[in-house]
Amino acid sequence: MKRFKTTKGMIGIVLLTLIALIAIFGPMVIPPDAATAMDMRARRAPPSLTHLFGTDQLGRDLLFRVILGTRTSLEIAVSAVLMSVILGLPLGLISGYFGKWIDNVLMRFVDTLLAFPALLLALTISAVLGPNIQNTIIAIGVAFTPYLARIIRGEALRVAQMPYVEAARSSGTTDAMIMWRHVLPNILPAVIVQATISLAFAILAEAGLSFLGLGTQPPAASWGLMIQASRDQLDIAPWTAVVPGLAVALTVLGLNMFGDVLRDILDPRSK
Amino acid sequence: MTYVLNRLLSVILTLFLITLVTFAVTNILPGDVAMMIMGTQSNPEALAGLRQSLGLNDPILVQYAHWVGGLLSGDWGNSLIFKKPILELLSQKIVASAVLVVMSMGIALALAIPLGVWAAVHRDKWQDTVSSSSALLGVSLPDFFWGIVMILVFARWLGWFPSSGFVDPSLDFWGTLQHAFLPALALGLGLMAHLTRMTRSTMTGILSQEFIRVARAKGLTERTVIWRYALANAIGPVITIAGLQIGYLFGSIIVMESLFGYTGMGWLTYQALLNRDLPLIQDTVFVIAGVVMLTNLAVDLLYVVIDPRIRLG
Amino acid sequence: MKDIVSVDHLRVEFATDGRTVVGVEDVSFTIAPGETLCVVGESGSGKSVTSLSLMRLVEFGGGTITAGSLNFERADGSTLDVAAAPSHVMGAVRGHEIGMIFQEPMTALNPVFTIERQLTDGLMLHKGLTQAAASARALELLQSVRIPEPERRLKQYPYELSGGMRQRVVIAMAMACDPKLLIADEPTTALDVTIQAEILALINRLKRENGMAVLFITHDMAVVAQMADRVVVMYRGRIVETGTVTQIFENPQEDYTKALLAAVPKLGEMKGKPAPEKMRLIGDEAARAAAAPAKARAPKVLLQVKNLTTRFPVKGGILRRTVAQVHAVEDVSFSLNVGETLALVGESGCGKSSCGRSILRLIEPTSGEVWIGGRDIRALDRTDLRRARADMQMVFQDPFASLNPYRRLKDQVAEPIQNFGLATGVELDALVLQLFDRVRLPRDFMNRYPHELSGGQRQRVAIARALAVNPKLIVADEAVSALDVSVQAQVLNLMMELQEDLGLSYLFISHDMAVVERVAHQVGVMYLGRIVEIGPRSAVFDSPQHPYTQSLLSAVPIADPRKRRFAEDLAFKPITSPIFPLGHQPAPSTYTEVTPGHFVLSL
Repeated sequence: MKRFKTTKGMIGIVLLTLIALIAIFGPMVIPPDAATAMDMRARRAPPSLTHLFGTDQLGRDLLFRVILGTRTSLEIAVSAVLMSVILGLPLGLISGYFGKWIDNVLMRFVDTLLAFPALLLALTISAVLGPNIQNTIIAIGVAFTPYLARIIRGEALRVAQMPYVEAARSSGTTDAMIMWRHVLPNILPAVIVQATISLAFAILAEAGLSFLGLGTQPPAASWGLMIQASRDQLDIAPWTAVVPGLAVALTVLGLNMFGDVLRDILDPRSK
Repeated sequence: MTYVLNRLLSVILTLFLITLVTFAVTNILPGDVAMMIMGTQSNPEALAGLRQSLGLNDPILVQYAHWVGGLLSGDWGNSLIFKKPILELLSQKIVASAVLVVMSMGIALALAIPLGVWAAVHRDKWQDTVSSSSALLGVSLPDFFWGIVMILVFARWLGWFPSSGFVDPSLDFWGTLQHAFLPALALGLGLMAHLTRMTRSTMTGILSQEFIRVARAKGLTERTVIWRYALANAIGPVITIAGLQIGYLFGSIIVMESLFGYTGMGWLTYQALLNRDLPLIQDTVFVIAGVVMLTNLAVDLLYVVIDPRIRLG
Repeated sequence: MKDIVSVDHLRVEFATDGRTVVGVEDVSFTIAPGETLCVVGESGSGKSVTSLSLMRLVEFGGGTITAGSLNFERADGSTLDVAAAPSHVMGAVRGHEIGMIFQEPMTALNPVFTIERQLTDGLMLHKGLTQAAASARALELLQSVRIPEPERRLKQYPYELSGGMRQRVVIAMAMACDPKLLIADEPTTALDVTIQAEILALINRLKRENGMAVLFITHDMAVVAQMADRVVVMYRGRIVETGTVTQIFENPQEDYTKALLAAVPKLGEMKGKPAPEKMRLIGDEAARAAAAPAKARAPKVLLQVKNLTTRFPVKGGILRRTVAQVHAVEDVSFSLNVGETLALVGESGCGKSSCGRSILRLIEPTSGEVWIGGRDIRALDRTDLRRARADMQMVFQDPFASLNPYRRLKDQVAEPIQNFGLATGVELDALVLQLFDRVRLPRDFMNRYPHELSGGQRQRVAIARALAVNPKLIVADEAVSALDVSVQAQVLNLMMELQEDLGLSYLFISHDMAVVERVAHQVGVMYLGRIVEIGPRSAVFDSPQHPYTQSLLSAVPIADPRKRRFAEDLAFKPITSPIFPLGHQPAPSTYTEVTPGHFVLSL
């Protein structure tokens, strides 16, 4: 635990805890209609005591919008990464552990998918399925799966060649038990690290999708949508871009810092 | 020779698989594509016409064969929104994107390699902290956010660069570079952050190897040890990692080109996706995946040139 | 004559995680011109830190010289305190007046530069030679280290050279500027025994011809006996004892030195003894009590291997077709009696490990039969094979990798028992407890994780795990090779004790002839996948018949300074590649029986 107590680790943990609390409890605390209530007299109002973070082009309170956006972004990112882990874990595990032709076939498929830029794949899937929150999750989840599968496969391959796996096999442990008892626990640290870093990428991907209008749809609040809306009013209301931009940056920063420290602690090769 | 031949066969196989995935992804929706394109309120005759022209009444395998056959014979179909042959559109736009991708990769590498080496040499010192923190900051903001900031600062306020558009390099090469600079810088910064981290970790690994100790034991200066002995070993892996980022770049240009009104592949893809121009979507997705795959191949071959172990092996 | 090096009260500290760790402390010694000083110690003794300090390379590993002086007599007659020298002066000394060679020849050369470039850059820097003159000198150097085809080697890259050749290149690099002192940090530890002999002989000759002093760092007492004029014994960062090599070996003063020497097997000391004997361990009462030779039993065959052949495909091309085959194990036959040890010896790549794994079917043999207790292991289906594995267990080389880092030790020892449903609940716990007692591990280790244990303790856990299902056969694949010599002796004694008590049979796979002489009843020598000679231990060691066995035995360093063997240059026949094209059908192994039970390959 000692290495968590570095500055980087502490900042990461504090940021993530804060953001998670906001995402979970924020929407319960703020007035139910505050985020969507339009105040046409206070359009593009700069930050003040009534509107701490200012308002947008429709006079909606940016503090409340950004809190709602936290929930949306995290919900999409967490679900999408979870989906890619659920899809990628068995794929990578089986490919790496059994090797031979199974590995050849699966990895040829994964390599093909890797030729498609994740954002392009996500955008296409979202466009074809029709953009909404659920389809954004599917789009990002599918697009991230080959990356996860590749990394998990590499780890599984490494672990499958360890003498303790051979020892288990020579003492009569079945393949299923070896995967469960020996391979899985030993690749889990790498999977957790990768999932954390993928979360950061998923936040960015969701913002990108929404920014292009192929992710979360208005009137739902999303950081990407808010940045998109700020584009044309930057000179007169820069806070409309800074507020959601900062939200994205802090979240991704927190995840990356946490991921780095996790990697140092969990990755046996870094020791 | 066998190596090249093998790679070539592998390329053909992968291209075939790419067509399969592209076709599968663009046809996952079981609903009526014509309806999706034209909307539910459109008149039945127009719908039927569109179905006919897209070949949507054929069995799915026939549609796939028709599309791949077209790709092979040079008949890439027509765009529904631009009302032009897709091949013509693509050949214009791909030049624009190539300029952008090469430029942003150049910016990223020129900054990332010295920064990464610097951080690795002064590992766990303040230099490392500075380099790592700026890299962290760089990856933490979406690149389109940087794009917006740059438009505001360099185009609106300072007026140094145009804020949008693209100029054909055969007409005005300088103009092309000017138009490409801001989006390339925004893309390059995000990429740089990633490559700095990779360079740092690659160099750290190399600096801990025995042959570095041997080089020091020979009495070579630290400059020679780091910039010749170590970097010569790091270049290969760093280029490989940079090559893998081509995929990431081709995803990011969709956002960046749309933001800057820079009419390249990314912009074209976005228009196709927004307007559900199915033939155009299929062809652009296929081309981007194909280009990414071929660039990765080129990087592999470049690595062969750099690393004697593969060159002669 | 004045000493070339005099180290006085050296202290080196390392800063990690804000704490200061002392690497070495109060280390003092001298080296006279033309003398070989060996610094010997087990892992963590600080011997490498000492040698790196002398080059001031220790600071690149995070260390700082905090006290003491390291006086070096320079070529111009002045004395330089290395501890206080400015870095540009050190740059002129390193590689110029002090040369250094390292442990890992495979990674000691820059993979992307040619041999020529790596040999010439030091010459051009220190001697101011032109490129052409430096290249000419590089060629001379390669000739002086006796590399075959030196002209061609200059243009080659490191990966094109074998480990032995690379170490010769590293030596040539260190010798480039005619240094007055050569520091050799475990230069032969990673090499096979015949290559080791060649390199040791080469260092001896170069030292003699150039009149330079050598600081030789090693963990291997046998190598010390062969190389040293004087010896410094180190333990946990301090010097234990200093003396001439004969003093240290014949009249050691300190208990630690005595214990270290006792644990070292000496090749040839088993001559005339009928059965394996335990190692002499100072202070180990159990070992002393059981020092009597193990009693001979009426021989009963447990394992019979007939014509075992294992080939690995070499894949190539897009379809990953097999383009050639590695003939790892080639027509191997032998039998192993109940309660006995058969040692398979040979150098790396000879197929001894593949042979052990093929017998357990951890890799699938290509053909042949493996009979254990009336069953042909090769004929079993998956289910039966799983059951049959209760009879045969394996202990691996690397004690750090052979235990799952994320499982409690008791769970790992219990796993085989659970696999075969031999016990559950309280009964299982009791069994595991017994096993920990059996291998002499404290009971409170049961709830620990592998990283809390030392290498020797982990190897005991691995043995306990292997014993869990009451096997008849244990395949020990280099099971003690990674351990420090005193720990190695303890684990070997434990294995011999278990053999006596439980009637176990060992297939003992090892590269260490001296250890094998100590533990084996039967010895098989492997070369290029075949057994070239097999028979009772005394027959193979006392009258080796096959030329390969003879050269192998002549290359082993003996831990006795009065039996030196590496004065003149040695050149052993290099081992050829075991890769053959598809369809290659090698001749069957046929043997001549020279004395009863002693067979020699007749090829």
